[in-house]
Amino acid sequence: MANEKKKKVIKRLKSMYPLRGLVDKMYERAVEYSKEGKPTAWCMVNWWGGDSLLRAMDIAAVYPEDYGAVCAAFGAAPKYLERANSEGFPDHMCGYARNGLGYACLMKELGRIPEGAPMGGLPKPTLLLSSGYFCDTRYKWFQALGRYLDAPQWFLEMPHPGVKESFAEGAQEYTIDFLVKELREFVAFLERLVGKKMDWDRLEEIVNDTIEMNRAWYEVNDLRKAKPCPMHSRDFWSSMPASLYVAGDPKETAVSYKNMYDEVKERIDKREAAIPEEKYRLAFAELPPWHSLAFFDELAERGWNFVVESWSYQPPKPIDLSKVSDPLERVARHTYQYFAGFFEGAYKTGEQLGYFGYPYLEYVREYKCDGLIAHPLLTCRTATNHQMYVKDRLMKVLKVPTLVVEGDIVDLKLFNPEEALRQAGPFEETMEHYRDVRRKEGLDW
Amino acid sequence: MVEKKAKGLARAKESYQDPSYRVKQLKAKGKKIIGYLCIYPPLEMMTALDLVPYRLFGDIREPITQADSCLPTCVCPFLRSTLDLGLKGKYDFLDGVVMAHACEVGEKLAHIWRTYLTPPYSFYIDTPHTKHEAALEYHRKLLVDFKKSLESYTGKELSADKLEQAIRGWNQQRALVRELYEMKKPDPPLISGVETLQVMKALMTIPPEEGNELLREVISEVKERKDGPKKGTRLLIWGSIIDDVALIEMMEESGANVVMDDTCVGSRPFFPDVEMTTDPLDDLARRYLLDLKCPRTFEVAVFGETKKNYMADLEARFSYVRDYAKEWNVKGVILYGLRYCDIHGYEVPQIKDYFDSVGLPSIYLEHDYSEAALAPLRTRVQAFLEVLR
Repeated sequence: MANEKKKKVIKRLKSMYPLRGLVDKMYERAVEYSKEGKPTAWCMVNWWGGDSLLRAMDIAAVYPEDYGAVCAAFGAAPKYLERANSEGFPDHMCGYARNGLGYACLMKELGRIPEGAPMGGLPKPTLLLSSGYFCDTRYKWFQALGRYLDAPQWFLEMPHPGVKESFAEGAQEYTIDFLVKELREFVAFLERLVGKKMDWDRLEEIVNDTIEMNRAWYEVNDLRKAKPCPMHSRDFWSSMPASLYVAGDPKETAVSYKNMYDEVKERIDKREAAIPEEKYRLAFAELPPWHSLAFFDELAERGWNFVVESWSYQPPKPIDLSKVSDPLERVARHTYQYFAGFFEGAYKTGEQLGYFGYPYLEYVREYKCDGLIAHPLLTCRTATNHQMYVKDRLMKVLKVPTLVVEGDIVDLKLFNPEEALRQAGPFEETMEHYRDVRRKEGLDW
Repeated sequence: MVEKKAKGLARAKESYQDPSYRVKQLKAKGKKIIGYLCIYPPLEMMTALDLVPYRLFGDIREPITQADSCLPTCVCPFLRSTLDLGLKGKYDFLDGVVMAHACEVGEKLAHIWRTYLTPPYSFYIDTPHTKHEAALEYHRKLLVDFKKSLESYTGKELSADKLEQAIRGWNQQRALVRELYEMKKPDPPLISGVETLQVMKALMTIPPEEGNELLREVISEVKERKDGPKKGTRLLIWGSIIDDVALIEMMEESGANVVMDDTCVGSRPFFPDVEMTTDPLDDLARRYLLDLKCPRTFEVAVFGETKKNYMADLEARFSYVRDYAKEWNVKGVILYGLRYCDIHGYEVPQIKDYFDSVGLPSIYLEHDYSEAALAPLRTRVQAFLEVLR
């Protein structure tokens, strides 16, 4: 993109930088742990279902999903992808996974972290923590890593509540019961793996801090309903890994999110937007084009403010878990809430998909969005399979249009920012048109 | 509607070519027809309440024109095709649908289906992915909810007796399918791969008692006939769904005998029985979670083991396919993956490692679920057969 470096139109939050820095520290910590002979884990994002347990057992966790994005941003992904392809993994599969498989293959061949690996690389893990959350890759990828890594794999089960069956009489409680049993098994496994007992007091503290961290992060994002919106999606994406990967100490991270809350609140009080002039409020579906984020500055110049993003990366709606005495049950209920927190609204409005689908309807309505940018990712089924459905539901239910801009999570060639920008003008006309339609239909934005 | 008179293989072929013919007849007589996707919804529970389960398929010969509006092009083309047929009204005869969490796109499809096709009855089973004890217990609870839902829909009680009777009926079918597959062991096999697929698909579109009758006819016919398949290179196919004979036909025309499969319109849904104990729901929970073999369920050599042993894991995951290869005396294996099928895609290098370790040649074929895309695969199959000869 021409003049990419010159355009810095989005007003970034100062409080974002310490949060963004936590991810770098997460990678450094894992490499240090490995050098010191302490346990490390490669984890799939597990929506706080297992993270606290690892931290309490003093196991340093890294997330190869995030590392896929890092490698894409640093330009290191192509060589790892090529290696995975030559190993026989079909090229239509998850770009993050193929990046991780190629990396692991190379690491096995070299017997060490490959030279030039971004962020100091991922160390050889003691454990692979996979999960049943959403996508099949979340466990099949790690199973395939068995070709290259000697680490055992644990599979953390997670049902998918948030649809009508999960609200049958008694279903919530037996699901929580299932999750708690799974977590108890996981604790026993970790104790055997690292040869020490769980520090339950430490776990108690970490679980509470994690819940508090997510509450603080939720409150930041809730402020973004303000008009004009004081915080752009760029700051969301820079800050979300601190929550999603529990990248730092959650107690300290909670403080950082509270600092962010103060900064965002201050902007609201001054009626200050995240871009020079907010003409259109937009939602963004799924992961952004990490390698072309300057694209958003170009749109910001046109008055496009991105005010809310995918449900998948947001913290759960806060609930009071203070009366739940067992920390494992608190973990289970916190994660369950993430999946099921939108269901009541979905049920009342007759929507079937209480996660992935309905949250967009609620966001778009509450954040008063004029449009959605849907970014289907060729090799990520999870981030993509609901997007056409969401597009259709937004138009049918809320008369809000969607612009589809195709891309991928690691393959730079699949995202064409110039082409997307060419569509911006016509899409503005579409958004204007549907503002009128909504007004005529009695919708309030 | 005119009653069809064909028997045995001809009847199976007719049913394969017009899969909804019989259930439409039954619907006209007042039966309720319930569509289901994949192999994880327990059919016995539907049959026990006099519902007719009908497996949902796609159509590789029908261009996808309507599903794009609700499922993007980079997900499973089989599921997209199936939804497309639904959106075009080709499943309008269904009274309901039952879907399970077989794979992630299948799980989303369950909810998308009921949004757009608004079936009078629908149920989604969030089948767990591990064989942990807690997962089995959870699965049983899901089946209890499914039972209640079916009872509410039909207004009938699903008693243990009725369920056991249904299980016996389906187990009988499973035994007959295994008997049919025995006929693929001689060289040449007594029944071709194409004929087998026609029978298997037919079984999934008619009530179990009629399926059992069809199987008896086919077994008897195949035993007696003199014009069975010619001798060819014996192959096993492992992988994603194959619900059209075109692929197998291409292989058999190229000189292969497809004598065994591990696919979900083949041996996979039929080989394990429901082992009957004192609680039929326990039995179903066990069979559908523990005994069915599909890469969607996480397998490891020893659950909770802290030391990794890759070859032991491969043995635990794939030795049953090696056993098939041995018993059916196959010379090579086709690893078949639908484009965008993640659960099979990740397996490919691993199952290939396993077959390499036991000295069994294999080749990976990827297909986009269209008739046109079969042509380039023919050359690869022919080259593979050359190597095996």
